[in-house]
Amino acid sequence: SGVWNFGSLLGLCLITQILTGVFLGMDYTSDISTGFSSVTHIWRDVNYGWLIRNLHGNGASFFFICIYMDIGRGLYYGSYLYKETWNIGVVLLLLVMMTAFVGYVVPWGQMSFWGGTVITNLLSGVPYMGDTLVQWIWGGFSVDNGTLTRFFGFHFLLAFVIGGGTVVHLLFLHETGSNNPGGVNSDGDKISFHPYFSYKDLLGFVIMLLGLTSLGVFSPNLVGDPENFTPGNPLVTPPHIQPEWYFLFGYGILRSIPNKVGGVLGLLFSILVLMVVPILHTSKQRGLTFRPVTQFLFWTLVGDMIILTWIGGMPVEHPYIIIGQIGSVLYFGLFLVLVPLGGWVEN
Amino acid sequence: MGRHFGDLAKIRHVITYSISPFEQRAFPNYFSKGIPNVWRRFKSSVFKVAPPMILMYLTYTWGNHVHEQGKRKNPADYEKDQ
Repeated sequence: SGVWNFGSLLGLCLITQILTGVFLGMDYTSDISTGFSSVTHIWRDVNYGWLIRNLHGNGASFFFICIYMDIGRGLYYGSYLYKETWNIGVVLLLLVMMTAFVGYVVPWGQMSFWGGTVITNLLSGVPYMGDTLVQWIWGGFSVDNGTLTRFFGFHFLLAFVIGGGTVVHLLFLHETGSNNPGGVNSDGDKISFHPYFSYKDLLGFVIMLLGLTSLGVFSPNLVGDPENFTPGNPLVTPPHIQPEWYFLFGYGILRSIPNKVGGVLGLLFSILVLMVVPILHTSKQRGLTFRPVTQFLFWTLVGDMIILTWIGGMPVEHPYIIIGQIGSVLYFGLFLVLVPLGGWVEN
Repeated sequence: MGRHFGDLAKIRHVITYSISPFEQRAFPNYFSKGIPNVWRRFKSSVFKVAPPMILMYLTYTWGNHVHEQGKRKNPADYEKDQ
């Protein structure tokens, strides 16, 4: 069905981000004295620089839309039973998150600087070597020029690491072939890539590129933070430091645990829990197509992630605190307890 | 690497029939059967999708309402003022 298009769409997202990113890199300077103004220069002076930057920034949002949909498809239809493909997919998710994080620091706006400061400081929770580790990452005693130069380098490098990971991801997928909505073996029912999947993927590309250019041209700042129009200033802290929308659910989980190390572990495990999903598969059926109880739990997970995304963007005040805590418990409870139980009941 | 056409599966005693695309309509009964089918698919999934979404929406509106209320002054705190 259409939800199988997100794999090829992710490939298109990666190519789009690399192409637009390379062109941005031709005019960007990774120094704190010129970084922000070089982005302004790209926007105002470089031919179609405004469009390239638009596509790159909003392309990151589409990257995450596609990756969350791809994971959702994997969870719903039991595609995670292709364990190697699935686990490399989780690694790819982590790489994409790291790339997006360091990439957000690059424009050196207020949210770039302060978001970078908040998240890199979390590493100080590592026992014994935490503070040393953070200063090693920073390249100094705070987020400063050393941090910006290396983060730009990491951002450029990680994009190609994702490319390599994608090849391995596809390598394993091609050992088994794709899953399908029925969750059944389809070895005896194959059709050629061309013209069926070439045209299907092309339609997906057209729809996604239409969405991306519409967002970029009609409402380019819809999902952005206005703080990033201000140059990064270590002496002025924004009242509400928050990451981009695609990280908010994890940010909500992080802030729900009133302990620094606990919060960091919650954030980490909110992603790593995906690796445990194949192990906890209890149902005799592969996907949820004929499993109403677990279907309900799946949509509860979707609703919970939307709630956590909302909470991650709210101030830490009543009743957002308790909602975030219940949402976090529900998130892990669904993966670790409720869904395996649902599968067992349906058996 | 991976499986290849001709080596995917051995299936015996299955006969398939097909008709030429030039001998059939491209979108037969697209609306006459399609619309009732959409309704059937909606009915079969609405009670699994809608309740979590409704709960999510209610949590969102309740949370924002309680937060707004918390920012308002409580008249009882100022009853003894002169």
